[in-house]
Formats: sequence, structure tokens, C-alpha cells
Amino acid sequence: MAAVAEKPTKERLLSVLDDLEVLSRELIEMLSLSRAQKLPQPGEDTQILELLVQRDREFQELMGVAQQQGKVHQEMQQLEKEVEKRDSDIQQLQKQLKEAEHILATAVYQAKEKLKTIDKARKGSISSEEIIKYAHRISASNAVCAPLNWLPGDPRRPYPTDLEMRSGMLGHMANLPSNGVNGHLPGDALAAGRLPDVLAPHYPWQSSDVSVGMLPPHHGNDFNLEPPGHNKENEDDVEAMSTDSSSSSSDSD
Amino acid sequence: MAVAQPKLEKENEDCSLLPLVHDIIKCMDKESQDVHQELAKLKAKIQEAREQISNMPGIDSSPQEQQQQLATLREQVHTKNQLLQKYKSLCMFDVPKAS
Repeated sequence: MAAVAEKPTKERLLSVLDDLEVLSRELIEMLSLSRAQKLPQPGEDTQILELLVQRDREFQELMGVAQQQGKVHQEMQQLEKEVEKRDSDIQQLQKQLKEAEHILATAVYQAKEKLKTIDKARKGSISSEEIIKYAHRISASNAVCAPLNWLPGDPRRPYPTDLEMRSGMLGHMANLPSNGVNGHLPGDALAAGRLPDVLAPHYPWQSSDVSVGMLPPHHGNDFNLEPPGHNKENEDDVEAMSTDSSSSSSDSD
Repeated sequence: MAVAQPKLEKENEDCSLLPLVHDIIKCMDKESQDVHQELAKLKAKIQEAREQISNMPGIDSSPQEQQQQLATLREQVHTKNQLLQKYKSLCMFDVPKAS
């Protein structure tokens, strides 16, 4: 019975209909034969009739089941449409989440890169005051631009001259002999220190004025161009970015 | 339901072949010439029933199988509704339109 119940309803209906056709044909043939031969059949026609009635009842039941299944099928079609719509909504949501994930990943990556850059900058940070002072020093020594009143023949140079180098810390450390290595000044005059006034070196640190804001007297790090022991009284030059600061030069071009 | 049942019974009686067989037997008893006509009607009715069965939707499976399929579909709809509800209740991101 379980095996019969598992058969599709359509198959069962067609099977029963075939049985009905066969049984009705047999019954009609039997009745027509019996009338033609005038011989009563020994209850065989009754048997066929009973079978016919039974099959007909079965057929009617199956048709009822088929109609119910038709209604269920309509409901299933509605549910399938809903499932399709939900699938479409889920796909749309998935697409949006993918986009959001991409945007977030990009933002996080860029933020991390920026944090790395900030950290790197912090590690290599320099005081802005020192940089400004260094810039003043460079410009005060006329290393980047000639003084406004410089003329050909002026002994001043944009680089430290021999005398200046020997007067500085490096010169003292190396204990270099005093000779005219740069060729700008005659060795005798340089060695004797007999320099004409116009060629006398005017170092920025030799100024009698003290610039309070620029160079603190105890600021002893980095760009210590002046020799130790020199006072820093000539800070006006530095402060004013003046052309008065001159460097001795042994050569007049 | 009481109204639907007589309608269902009438529909079932419409698909019964017994009345036609009965008419054929009556004609045979009367030895009427309408026997052939009645036989033709029976054949036509059987053929019509076959076509109707072929066109009926949803009878390609047994009632039990169909109920199982229905239950599966209902569960699918329920699960997907839950999933959508879950994601819609999360905080949504405003996706900027690409310019």
C-alpha cells in the first residue's frame, strides 16, 4: 500500500481510467453477447459490474485528490515567487555589503599609512627654533647670497675662509698649522695676523651687541660655527640678516 | 465548507462514467439505434478525462511528496525572511555614489 501511495497521482488516475475503459468495454461486450446468444452469464457480468463501480469510485476519489493537489500547487507557486524575491533582496544586500567592505578596507589602509608617516615624523622631529636659527646663521654668513655692497675685489667669500676654519673648533681640534692653504691671503700676512683693517675678519660672534632673542648664550648644540670662548655679542648681524657680517678672505678677485 | 462539499460531490459525479455505461445498457435493452451514439459518448468522455488529467497541474507527485515540497518551501521563505530581518536590523552604511 505504501508503494501504491508513493506513485504520482497522475499515474494512478490514468491507470484507473484505463481500467474503467477496459471494464466498461468488457461489460458491454458481455451483455451484447449474452443478448445475442440468449444465454445468461453465470454472474460474470455482475462481477465485472462490481469492479466497474469500484474503479469508478476510486476514480472519483482520485480526481478529488488531484483538485486538492492543484490548489496546493498554486500555493507552492506563490511561495516560489516569494523565495525568488528574497533571493534577489539577499543578493542586493550582499552587493552593498561588499562595497562597504571595500570602502572600509581602503580607509583603514590609508589611515594606517598615515599613522606610520606621523610616527616616522615624530621620531625625526627637530625643534623649529633650531632650524630657524640655523637658517639665520647660514644667511648671516652670506653663504647663500652675496652682500648687497659686494664688488669684485671684495675679499669676502660665501664659504669659510682658511682663517675662519682655523679659528673654529675643527681648527683647534686638528691643530692645523697656520699657512695660507686656501691661497686667498699671503701666508706671511696671514701668519703674522697683520691684516689690513678692511680685510680684518669680522665674525658675527665678535659683535658687541647681544641679541637676546636669537642665540641664547648657553645654547651649545648643533651648528657651533664660532670657536669656543668667543662671545656672542654680534647678534645684531644675525638678527638683521645684515650684510655687515664679513668673512676674511685672503684673496681679492 | 457545507457549500463547497456539495459542489465537490457534483464535480466528482461529473467525472463518473457509470451514467454513460448505464445509458448504453438501457439502449441495449431497448435495442435502440442510439447504442452507437452512446458508445461514442463514452469514448469521448474517456478521452476528455485523459486530456483533463494531462493538463491538471501539481499531480506529477504524490500528495505526500507535494506536502513535503510545500513544507520545504515554507521553511525556505521563513529562513530567508529571518536572514533579511537580521541584516536590516544591523547598522547600515551609507554607500556613497561613485562620482
